[in-house]
This record gives sequence, structure tokens and C-alpha cells, in this order.
Amino acid sequence: MRALEDELPEQQFNTWVRPLQAVQGDGALKLLAPNRFVVDWVNTHILARIGDLLRDGSTGDAPIITVEVGSRRASAPGPDASGPVAAAGAAGRRSEGLVVGARLNPDFTFAGFVEGKSNQLARAAALQVGENPGKAYNPLFVYGGVGLGKTHLMHAAGHLIRERDPDARIAYVHSERFVSDMVKALQHNKMNEFKTAYRSLDALLIDDIQFFAGKDRSQEEFFHTFNALLEGQQQVIVTCDRYPKEVDGLEERLKSRFGWGLTVAIEPPELETCVAILMSKGQASGVALPEEVAFFIAKRIRSNVRELEGALRRVVANSRFTGRPITLEFAKDALKDLLSLQAKLVTVENIQKTVADYYKVRVADLLSKRRSRSIARPRQVAMALAKELTSHSLPEIGDAFGGRDHTTVLHACKRIREFRDSDQRIGEDYSNLLRTLTG
Amino acid sequence: MRQLPLGVRLRDRATFASFVAGANGEAVSLVTTLAAGEPGGCAWLHGPAGAGKTHLLQAACALAASRDRAGYVPLAEFAGGEAAILDGWLGLDCLCIDDAQRVAGDPRWDAALFRLFRDIEERGARLIVGAAAPPGALDWSLRDIASRFGAAAVFALQPLDEAGRLEALRLRARLRGVELPEDTVRYLQRRYPRDMRTLYGLLDTLDDAALAAQRRLTVPFVRAVLSGR
Repeated sequence: MRALEDELPEQQFNTWVRPLQAVQGDGALKLLAPNRFVVDWVNTHILARIGDLLRDGSTGDAPIITVEVGSRRASAPGPDASGPVAAAGAAGRRSEGLVVGARLNPDFTFAGFVEGKSNQLARAAALQVGENPGKAYNPLFVYGGVGLGKTHLMHAAGHLIRERDPDARIAYVHSERFVSDMVKALQHNKMNEFKTAYRSLDALLIDDIQFFAGKDRSQEEFFHTFNALLEGQQQVIVTCDRYPKEVDGLEERLKSRFGWGLTVAIEPPELETCVAILMSKGQASGVALPEEVAFFIAKRIRSNVRELEGALRRVVANSRFTGRPITLEFAKDALKDLLSLQAKLVTVENIQKTVADYYKVRVADLLSKRRSRSIARPRQVAMALAKELTSHSLPEIGDAFGGRDHTTVLHACKRIREFRDSDQRIGEDYSNLLRTLTG
Repeated sequence: MRQLPLGVRLRDRATFASFVAGANGEAVSLVTTLAAGEPGGCAWLHGPAGAGKTHLLQAACALAASRDRAGYVPLAEFAGGEAAILDGWLGLDCLCIDDAQRVAGDPRWDAALFRLFRDIEERGARLIVGAAAPPGALDWSLRDIASRFGAAAVFALQPLDEAGRLEALRLRARLRGVELPEDTVRYLQRRYPRDMRTLYGLLDTLDDAALAAQRRLTVPFVRAVLSGR
């Protein structure tokens, strides 16, 4: 190994040799590689050389070397058998040799979930489901933008179910994983095992259902799994990044089934909740975070919880590195590049493009003289966003929208402000766009 | 007769010991703790070419590999091939991905990266990414992935300043066992482009020449070698 490290370029060594594991026995050396690409590379490029090195270094017969896909920790390759944590978590269940899903994340509990106006309904529903699985709301459908805590709630409900019934078979499965597992089962002729494994669960937590869009065969299979579970009063919790009816490429019958239980939304957290989340996460990582610092971060990063977490990580890393306590000045300094980055990213052009994409119109339409409502409304939304998110003056914004007068911009901002209160749809569009642009 | 330099030059290893942190101490410190085994976390390093991203990623991979299963994924090399190659790096304890900007925005690669990220998140493994830009500035086709990377500790790596560059040059020479007198350092500093790649390239040339001629790297010798290039 050391000799190889000297011979190979470092990058090659790190990419192809480092992940190898060796298993020795009976005059044979087996190299376990994480995938077939590594197997191929090792076979073509260095297998002979490894043989030479071993022969040079030993007096007896050189071992026979083979390379195959595998991992020393478990006999079967694959993401399920990949770590001590996964094994200890025991979230998946072995049913005729098939493991379903990933472990429940130990950090995602109700105790660690910060409640606020934006998520209290969803939290209450998940709590109910955790206490009365299969009975309270089935399925529970939680939807909302990225990074708002859907996955956290789903895991929390799972933990609660397990707390009350340690033998309960609970699986957390990301939809994308359901699809790839099913493809694998089809390839290896193991559909029966696949079906049995899923249908014998007590609770199935299936995340990001929008990933099923356009995948008809997976939807079909999921539909049957879903029905079987519901019939058996086994709990199903589903999350999605939008309202079920709005997912393009999802079968109608699936959408209508999702409506059988309870559908709840999670909204982006309001400022106070962001502050509470930061304080709680700070506490969890053993850091004293002054409230004014939490307010400072929360005010500037309002898109989603993950970004709050990223910013907090930076502040904590900085504090650990410098050994200084966290103060407001300190936080401003630590987040300097992160915040200037955000300010830099939101440009009028960026806003126009994002809004046009969102409403499925062309940027050229936004800049044109057309005044039909399907164009005028998105244009007004874009102007209002430009006023809120950039530091451009009103005449500058008017200019950027096909040379319009600054009073037009002012009017647009006023209209949108009114609409946001009176028209739920526009209110929602606006907050979605705000999140996309600042996220 | 000229002695030909055989392949005896000591290799330059990309380790933490051979990295001059300069203004990037905080990033280096976090990457070190992640590589050394602090569970569950993601760091994102971005900056211009030559800022040290690849060096840090290689160093992290080497350190992590001393106790865990670690891997280094050069996306610049993989781009253009099939994205399924990434599935092969599922299940590692510490993964270092380089040049993320080379594949970001391609739906197949974004999907594969998302799979990789979730795998790491679900197992509490560690991920360190290097890219030309911060995660929010890349044109992902999948907003879920931009969101996931939002939770990473994002660092803008600063290229070394004048003093840092010279320190890096001296350090590399020392690690190779080459004596580099101060007036030679000053000579190089005044006459040649001062980006790290050029400086390291000069060191390679001088090292070989010194070995062949059995000479020390004095200013006259260096001047003669470099003017004759």
C-alpha cells in the first residue's frame, strides 16, 4: 500500500486505492471495492503491480489477488449495510433478506422540533399520528418548501411510534430510494420480496413524493403498497414539496388517495421561530448563542431552516477556531462573506428570470408592453420583489423592466402588498418566490 | 557529463502538514475535525483555482482514510461520463468531492449527487465538497440539492498573500529536503509570477537542476538555470 502511494499520483491513489479494503486468507488476498468502476480500474491499472509488490515483499508463494465489489462490515454491498450507525439504528427490517429504508435520525425528535405558527398544525398532526398510528390520520400528508422540517416531523412521529411499541416495524424511505430499490428488485427478479417487505411494515414514512413524478411503474407499485398498508390500518406518512394536486406527472388516483387522510402545510418559519430554532440548535451543539446574535442571523437568512443551520455552523466554527465568545460583532464578522454573497446573488435579472420561470412566461414578456393579466401580474410581482430584495432605486427598477416609469413600479409594489393580504394565491406565490430567490 | 535526475525527488504530499493556511485557518480547522472523525457534517469550500481546494480535499481524504473508509471523487475527471459512477461511492465514512461546478445543473448528475448526499446524511457520515462557487450560486436543476447544501458550513478560500506564498514555497522545499536560501526566495519573488502553480513549477525545475549539477540553490545558480530554460 505504501509503495503504491509513492508510485501513483496522489489524486489517483485517493480516488481508486484509498477506498479499497483488503481481506486476507488461505494464500489469497481479496480487495473489496466500493463499486464496479473501482474494480475495473484496479484490474486494468494496478492489479499486476500489486502482485509484483507482494511477491517482492514475501518469501513464500505470492497470494492470489482478486477484486470485487463489497465492504468488510457486511457481506452484501449497498447503502443499507454501510455503517455501524445504520446497523445500530435498526430502522430497516429484514424480511426475507430485504432491508427497507434507512435508520430514523436520532436528532429528529419532537423534543428537538421548534414549534411556531408556521408549523404548529403539522406538528400537532404528526404528534397525533405518533400516538395513534394507523388510527388518527391515515395517510398523513405534509407539504411545504424545502428545508422547513417535513422530514424532521416524519422522523419524530416514527420515534414516537417506536417508543410506544419497540417492536413496531418502521421504515423511513426517500421516494427516490423507493424507485431505485424497485428497479433493483425488478432486475434481480425479487419483486415478491420487495412487496412483502413493504407491506409488512407497521409504519411507512415516505419522503419527497414529488420524486415519483413521471415514474409510472413506481407509482403503480407504490399505489398498491399504499392501499395494502391503509387497508391493514398500517400508518403511512407522506411528504411533498407542494400540494398534492399541484405535482405534475403524478397519477390522479394517487393524488386523490393522498386526500383520504389529513393534508397539512408547513410554512416558512417567521422571525421569532427562526430565532428559537437557532437558539435550540446552538444549545444542542453546546454553544452559548446570545439572543441578539440569533436575531441578527434570522433576520438575514429567512429562506429556510437548513440555511440557518449553515450560518450557525460558520459562527460556531469561527468561535471554536478563534477561541472567542460569540458576540454580535463577532457574528457579523464570521458571516461576512456568507451575507455579502447573498446580497450579490439577487439581481433584477435573476428576479425576472425566476419569476418568469415560476409563472411559465418569458422574460421578454415581462419587459414587453403587453398588459394582459397573465403577464401584468407576474410583472408586478417581479417589480415588488426587485424593490424588496435589491438596493436599486425605483427609476432603476422601472428601467430594467423595459423602460417603465418609477410610478409604475411604485404602483406595482402597492398592488402586490394589497393582494398579498386579500388573495391567498398571490400571497403564496410571493412567499415561494421570495424563498427561491433568497435560498 | 551531466548527471540525469532520476525519480528520486521526494514526493510532494497534499497533507495538512504541507498546507499553508494563511487566511483560511478556520476552514482548515473545520475540515481537519471533519476528516478526523467528527460525526455528521458537511463543509463546502469554494474559491478561485490555486486557492488550495484540491490540496485540502486530498489532505482530508488521506487523514480520514487512516481510520475510516474514505474516498476522493474528482468530478472534473468524471464529467462527461455516466453519472451512475457516483453511486459507487455510497456507503463511505468520509467523502471528498472536488470540482462540483463541473457537473452541477446536469439533471443526471444532480440526481446522483442528491442520492450521495442523502446517503451521507442518513448514515451520519461526512462530506467535504470543493467547487468554484458557493452552493447557492450554482445552477442546480434540482432545488432539493441546493437546499441540502445550504446546511453546509460554506467557506470562501482566500488565495495566499505574498508572505503566505513564500512561506508555502519554503515549506515545500523543506519537506523535500531542499535547502532554499532566503536571497534565492527573494530573487524568485522579484522576477517571476507569484501564483502558487508557477512557484511550485520553478521549484521543480530548480530541484532537478540542482540534483543534476550537484549544486546548492544559490542566486547565481538559479539565475543560470532559469535563464537557460
